[in-house]
Amino acid sequence: MPIEAVEAGCDFRALVRQHQAMVFSIALHFLRDRASAEEVAQEVFFSLHRNLRQIESPAHAAAWLRKVAVQRSIDEGRRRSRRPQVALEDVAEPAARFTPGDPLLSDLLRRLVATLPEAPRMVMVLRYQEDLEPSEIATVLEMPVATVKSHLQRSLAMLRGKLERRGVGESGWTG
Amino acid sequence: MDWLEDELRRALSRQDPPDGFAERVLARSRPVAFPARRWVAAAAMVVVAAGAAGAWREHRGNQAKQELLLAVRLASVPVHRVQSQIRGISQ
Repeated sequence: MPIEAVEAGCDFRALVRQHQAMVFSIALHFLRDRASAEEVAQEVFFSLHRNLRQIESPAHAAAWLRKVAVQRSIDEGRRRSRRPQVALEDVAEPAARFTPGDPLLSDLLRRLVATLPEAPRMVMVLRYQEDLEPSEIATVLEMPVATVKSHLQRSLAMLRGKLERRGVGESGWTG
Repeated sequence: MDWLEDELRRALSRQDPPDGFAERVLARSRPVAFPARRWVAAAAMVVVAAGAAGAWREHRGNQAKQELLLAVRLASVPVHRVQSQIRGISQ
C-alpha cells in the first residue's frame, strides 16, 4: 500500500475497521474492563493516525497496532494497579460441571487469566487470542523466547491446577 | 490439541468493540478545519486593528502639536507686551 494511499482518510478508516477487534480485544482480555479497553483502543488508533507516515504495508500496520496495543494496555494496567484488583480468591466457584465450549467456563477462564501477573497475562493473551508463536510473542514483548515459553508453561499449569481443584478438567466434561 | 488450550482459545477469542467505535475514532481523528471565511475574517480584523493603531498615533501627534503651539503662544504674550512697552518708551 503506497504511503500516499495510507495517508488518505479512507485507508485509515479501513485500518480502523479491519483491526478494531484485535486492538480492543488485547486491551479487554488484559484489563478485563470494557470501558478502559475502549479508551486504550481509541488511543492506539489516534497514535496510528499521528504516525501513518511510518506505516509501510498492511502487515506492518497490523504488527504496529498489535505492539502499541500491548504497550498501552500494560501502561493502563500499571496505572490501574494502584486500585483494588480482582484476587484469585474472589473468582467464584463454579456451581456445576462444565461442558466443552460452555460460556460459563470461558468466563471463568478469562477471570483466572486476569489474576495472572502482568507479563504471563499478556503472553497468554497473545498466544491464545492472537495465536502467535512464542518467538513472535518474544519479539512483541521484547523478552527472550525461553521466558515466553516458561510463562506459558507455568500459566497453563497454574490454570489446570485451579480448574482441577474446582472439579473442571478433561474427566469432568461429562458432568 | 490440549483441552485447556482449546478452551483458552475460545475464551480469549477476539471480540468486537462497542457499537460506533470506528465512527468515534474517525470523528476524533479528523483534523479541525479552519474555513476560508475564518481566514478572511481574521485578516480583516488585523487590517482594522492596524488602521486603528495608525489613526490613534496620528491623533496623539496632532494633539501634542496643538498643545505645544498653545504653550508657545501663551509664553509669547508677555514678551510682546514687554516689547511694545519698550518701543513706547524709546519713542
